[in-house]
Amino acid sequence: MSTWDGLLTGLSFALQPGVLIYCVLGVMLGTFVGVLPGIGAMAAISLLLPITYYISAEAALIMLAGVYYGAQYGGAVASILLRLPGTPQSAVTALDGYPMARSGRAGVALFAAMASSFVGSMLGILVLVLLAGWLSRAATAFGAADYAAMMVLGLVAASTIGSERPAKGFAMIALGMLLGCIGTDVNSGTMRFTFGRTELLDGVNLVALAMGLFGVAEVIGNVRDPDRQGVAERIGLRQMAPRREDLRRMPLPMLRGASLGSFFGALPGTGSTLSSFLSYALERRVARQPERFGHGAIEGVSGPEAANNSAAITAFVPTLTLGIPGDPIMALMLGALVIHGVQPGPMMLEARPEMFWGLVASFGIGNLLLLVLNLPLIGIWVSMLRIPFRLLYPAILIFVCLGVYSVRGLTFDIVAVAGIGLAGYLLALARFSPALLLLGFVLGPLIETNLRRALLISRGDPMVFLERPISAGFVLAIAALLLLSAWQALRRRR
Amino acid sequence: MMTQPTRRAALGCALALVAAPALAQDGWPSGPLHVYVGFPAGSSPDVLARIITEPLAERLGQPVVIENKPGAGGVIGVQQMLANADDDDLTFGTTINGPLTTAARMMGDTGYDVGADIAPVTLIATSPLVLAVAEGSGIEDLQGFVDAAAAGDQALAYGSVGQGSGAHLTAELFADEAGVSMLHIPFTSYAEVTTSIIGGEIDAGFMAPSAAAPQVEAGSMKMLGITSAEPFAQAPDVPVIAGQAGLPEDFRAELWNGLIAPAGTDAAVIERLNTEVTEILADPAVQEQLLAIGWQAAPGTADAMAERIEADTAMWGGVIDRIEAQ
Repeated sequence: MSTWDGLLTGLSFALQPGVLIYCVLGVMLGTFVGVLPGIGAMAAISLLLPITYYISAEAALIMLAGVYYGAQYGGAVASILLRLPGTPQSAVTALDGYPMARSGRAGVALFAAMASSFVGSMLGILVLVLLAGWLSRAATAFGAADYAAMMVLGLVAASTIGSERPAKGFAMIALGMLLGCIGTDVNSGTMRFTFGRTELLDGVNLVALAMGLFGVAEVIGNVRDPDRQGVAERIGLRQMAPRREDLRRMPLPMLRGASLGSFFGALPGTGSTLSSFLSYALERRVARQPERFGHGAIEGVSGPEAANNSAAITAFVPTLTLGIPGDPIMALMLGALVIHGVQPGPMMLEARPEMFWGLVASFGIGNLLLLVLNLPLIGIWVSMLRIPFRLLYPAILIFVCLGVYSVRGLTFDIVAVAGIGLAGYLLALARFSPALLLLGFVLGPLIETNLRRALLISRGDPMVFLERPISAGFVLAIAALLLLSAWQALRRRR
Repeated sequence: MMTQPTRRAALGCALALVAAPALAQDGWPSGPLHVYVGFPAGSSPDVLARIITEPLAERLGQPVVIENKPGAGGVIGVQQMLANADDDDLTFGTTINGPLTTAARMMGDTGYDVGADIAPVTLIATSPLVLAVAEGSGIEDLQGFVDAAAAGDQALAYGSVGQGSGAHLTAELFADEAGVSMLHIPFTSYAEVTTSIIGGEIDAGFMAPSAAAPQVEAGSMKMLGITSAEPFAQAPDVPVIAGQAGLPEDFRAELWNGLIAPAGTDAAVIERLNTEVTEILADPAVQEQLLAIGWQAAPGTADAMAERIEADTAMWGGVIDRIEAQ
């Protein structure tokens, strides 16, 4: 079946009322759970799983996928309005989205996030359709050494974001990596810093860390400092509409973000997180006035949002072409297929073309729906900021607790989020960037695992990082980036 | 209490003996059952629990609530079951073998003593592992694999889903019986192991049949042998490892999943649940659902499960001893 025929078949399948309804349901639910901080796609898909027993495998997949990418749209809302990211990707959006909201431009920030999400998704679909085969080969060609080198590059590239002084940025990355060490070490099975608590065996809960460092810390800060309250009252339509300058600043970051996201999304694991951070770092680097970043630069919302949404689409590449899920949520979706007697794997495209192409078509339909659904909602979201703080803050804290508890159902995590929130407040007082802490936390353990795995496989020979072409490419890029930074620093000093 | 034996009382006693499970705890279940699962919703152990508890709820006339408490390889699920045990005997758990056999050895302290705190109800299902290699590896059969592994110390590298996982311990048991030594590379999921084998980074892995089968079908992997005593319905063409390539006739390594209760649960309740689950597992439709996610129904008595726990704890304990001695 040619690509064109496939797309037509897919569209006619996905537009059947009996299928379309599940796409609508999925994306709406996705937006909804995305908006609720911390309650991510994982929880929503787990809840929907029993329902999927009663519908066709194709409709089930389309609905669950809708939740998955729909949640990416919703995730931006809480991070921009309330600085409540439930994932590291939306933490990046909060970096400039929240300052925009505080200066009365919440509507513009939300518009930028939605429009960029849409453009990112569409480009992601294009890449998925045209390059799926190539991307899936790339994904299997990546070995432990390549992942380790790639993530080090990500850390080096992103280390400059969100902090005025590089030393402070590095300190946060290092702290994040140390926190990431907590739990069972994959390579040796050793339990590190768990203090005998089984709740810590799988490490610190990522959602608790993100919401504590950002949301709870922000609430504490605002309660202590009444001057910071009440900024967002009275937002007229005028402030909601983007200015011409805003529109001019969006297209290029969108395209760059979507390109990064499309590529990294196809790599199992951290593609989405990495591409959001990389996109932010890239925008800051190419910007004429990098000092605007962190104070409400629209490029800092546009690029990363396009990146994480395109990554959410191409994340389906290894899942659909190889039957190998890239993250736990994908594994959950594949589990739903297995219950239907569909064996996910490399043969699925040939055995059930209507499933593959129907899903691809539903991506397009779903994202269009999301845009249409979300643009009118911007006004409602922004009006949430008019809720008095004495009502809003307790509500936020309740939602934080719900979100954190929804991940594993352990009260331990609620206590943890309170402690992390306090620590986050202290860090914010000293102007440390919590985003970099999150990045170090996510990438640190992966770098360690892959570095040690690569050396195990090479029987201890460090040359493996230069002998493998992919890894060698990343090592070169790291060297080039470091040299560039050193040169820029030297030139500035002169 | 009967103080004076009468004919009627004697008859009552006889009846009670026959219908002991029903009479011993009148009115059980008095409310919804809570079944703790130490894995996230949608995972294979979770789906297994749902397949069993759906008909169970119908038979008992009470809802059965699945409580997903994932973490620490299933240990947190068992802990939470024990922590939430009540006097009404409504709290149960389903778990894979790890938390009841090897976890105490791997973790040092799980917070519970399997012998004293856990009352086995019944084994639900077992799952063998298959030895898989890349299609282009040049290894054709089990003998070829053992020969390649014997070519040198740690000549072959294999992947597992973690230190102390079934995949790891099975591979070490295999290596020990075959008289070879292989390099262990721990991963966190079969998805990662599969990618690494197909990408040519590592040589082999003991995997769940359902994880390997699609890649075999697509011609990127092949299965050399299976660890069960008999061929497995999901991969009928794969030969059993036992008795091949110099391995002992009784070579057998299976993962299993069972229903458990907190110690102190009324024996009659356990008996009743054992009967219900055994009947549920006799339904061919249920067996097929289980097979689709890689599990073969394997019900038995509560005592049989207790013996299985003891035997496996000893067997895997020996494997862990040898790994630690290296």
